[in-house]
Amino acid sequence: MQPRMPLALVGVSHHTAPVDVRERLAFTPDEAERVLATLREHAGVREAVLLSTCNRTEVYLFPGVRERLIPAITELLGRKAGKLERGLDDYLFEQWGDGVVRHLFQVCSGLDSLVIGEAEIQGQVREAYERAGAIGVDPPLAGPVMNRLFQMALSVGGQVRSRTSIGEGAASVASVSVELARKIFGTLRGKRVLILGAGQTGELIVDALRRDGAESIVVANRTHDRAVELARRVRGEALAFDRLSEGLARADIVLSATAAPGPIVTGELFAEAFPGGVGGPLLMIDIAIPRDIEPALGSASGVFLYNVDDLRRIVDDRVRVREGALPEADRLIRAQAREFSSWYASLEVVPVIRKMREQGEMLRKTELDRLLRGLQHLADDDLEKVEEFSRRLMNKLLHEPTARLRNEMDHGEGPGMLEAVRFLYGLETERRERGVRMTRPSPDPVDRNKPLGWGRTKEEGR
Amino acid sequence: MIHLIPLLLYAAALGLWVRELVQGPTDRSSLAPVIMTVAAVVAHLVALGDFRMRYGELPLVGPGAALSSLAFVGGLVLLVTLALREAARVAIGLLPFVVVVQGAAVILGIQPSPEALDLQGAGFVLHVGLAFLGYQGFAVASAAGFLYLVQHHELKAKRLGRFFRFLPPLTTLNRMVRIGLWTGFSSLSLALVLAWRWSVEYRGGVEAGDPKVVWALLSWIVLASVLISRVPSARRDYRGAIASVAGFTVVVVTYLVLRLTVGGEGFFL
Repeated sequence: MQPRMPLALVGVSHHTAPVDVRERLAFTPDEAERVLATLREHAGVREAVLLSTCNRTEVYLFPGVRERLIPAITELLGRKAGKLERGLDDYLFEQWGDGVVRHLFQVCSGLDSLVIGEAEIQGQVREAYERAGAIGVDPPLAGPVMNRLFQMALSVGGQVRSRTSIGEGAASVASVSVELARKIFGTLRGKRVLILGAGQTGELIVDALRRDGAESIVVANRTHDRAVELARRVRGEALAFDRLSEGLARADIVLSATAAPGPIVTGELFAEAFPGGVGGPLLMIDIAIPRDIEPALGSASGVFLYNVDDLRRIVDDRVRVREGALPEADRLIRAQAREFSSWYASLEVVPVIRKMREQGEMLRKTELDRLLRGLQHLADDDLEKVEEFSRRLMNKLLHEPTARLRNEMDHGEGPGMLEAVRFLYGLETERRERGVRMTRPSPDPVDRNKPLGWGRTKEEGR
Repeated sequence: MIHLIPLLLYAAALGLWVRELVQGPTDRSSLAPVIMTVAAVVAHLVALGDFRMRYGELPLVGPGAALSSLAFVGGLVLLVTLALREAARVAIGLLPFVVVVQGAAVILGIQPSPEALDLQGAGFVLHVGLAFLGYQGFAVASAAGFLYLVQHHELKAKRLGRFFRFLPPLTTLNRMVRIGLWTGFSSLSLALVLAWRWSVEYRGGVEAGDPKVVWALLSWIVLASVLISRVPSARRDYRGAIASVAGFTVVVVTYLVLRLTVGGEGFFL
């Protein structure tokens, strides 16, 4: 029987809560610090990390005793969220014990992300963990258990990404656009981008291009004021619409996303911009519907034209590749989660072995004293030999069970045996003495799949 | 036997690059094929050094020996390519040429030349070295040009598969075509000038009907034509890539034809 680790996780994610709820539960670093300090003070928590991203707000806790934890967290999160359409309980999910470990490993590997395999989450997990460690409280909130848990999670995330195809290729319209630009131009430094209109996706693409080094951004729009406004948002320059062919001639990348009813970049305009044909490569990304760029221009030499369907098809292909890597990633995660459980269990075995030895030593001394009282006639050398014999006998008797117990714990098979040793050697009191620090919460945490009536489990949320 | 080792190592390096292409490249650097290529070049240097020690002449004359030296210059060019990190994967296009040339050398037998050794002066070494560099420059341009066409096709077909991810960006490949062509052209030009001077000085003039002269001049004209095809205009890059591949093919086919028809034991390649 594997005893549950007293690890707990409570939170919301894109599986359980819509964006308007998630954004209400987004914590700034200062707010996170206050929440974690409050939980330690009022919910018997020793170690805690709060992970807050646009897709999730999750609080990792150790030890987590449900009866104390749930009311405290519900109150804290409820205060942060304010009044919601439905009760906060409807959006929360919880995990306990091994489930917490697997969940964090999945999160860090990008398996639980909106876009499977995205890498940004790993940095966000690292930040959350480091932030908890940096909070000036004693003992630190990122203590031995959280340190081990998060360091392993970051390592697992790296392994999953390097050993599987989970992070292969770009998997969003914006990142595919940047990947295309990179595969054409190499570096985007110094490349000129012409934007025609721009919605949310268009601005994401521009941001991504700019992050990759694109410097000169020119915005053209039929309404010049809107061009000026958009240019301000994307930190570019506005171009008068009647000078569009001029802008086109200078551009390396054209991004079009207007709401125009018909093509804006026509064959005629193109011929005006490039009377002798396109000199260098020209990437044209048309995410408008209806399309802004005449499809026939895609066949022109040096022109690489992608419309929104092309980009979505590429994204879908990439996501399929990533999904194909899920079983392998899951195997890696399960193996590492077992390793963490073994490590945690090993924390329990050390005091048990120590107690076994102390008990054995006490017995040895008691029985030796009794024996020596009847052997007063022996010489000192002989008495020493008797004592040495008793010591060796005790060591030999305890060596095999100790070694086997350690070995079984190392291989994740020992917890049941640990219980048996406690029972056989009469060490049950040890667990009570150590109290909440090393043992499972009492009473046992609830089954994470059992309906709770106050929130959905992760599985239900999916 | 010693010349077989670099051949096997070049082939292994090519295999590693192909494996990376098939399995899908990762963001990690392709260290294994790079190490294998370096090992191949080092082994090749040792093999040629052994030739020099054993026969007291440089392996520049005679088909097998000269081809092995040509392959070795290809190995050196590969090392330079690998150092240009972004362009390192051009190796997948260049290595087959190196493997084929070294393979041919091994098959023909890397033996000392039956010709008189009065051709071993510094001027001759410089001439052959420059010529080999010229041909390998052209080989780089051809390999990069071929990869450019593949990448161009992937981008046009909107098929962002293995080749798309493995191959360097178009501009990088185009730059490699340009560098290869200019290196090839300038080296071959110098080599021809040296050969002309040597011929005039010691043979009283150039033998126009000599197959090696025919081939060298043809190679130079082809290289010049490919360079001209890249004059600034629309489709310059694409046209330059096609011209590089086609031009190099013409040079290789011409060599084979000459070799099989008029080449003899003393033929330099």
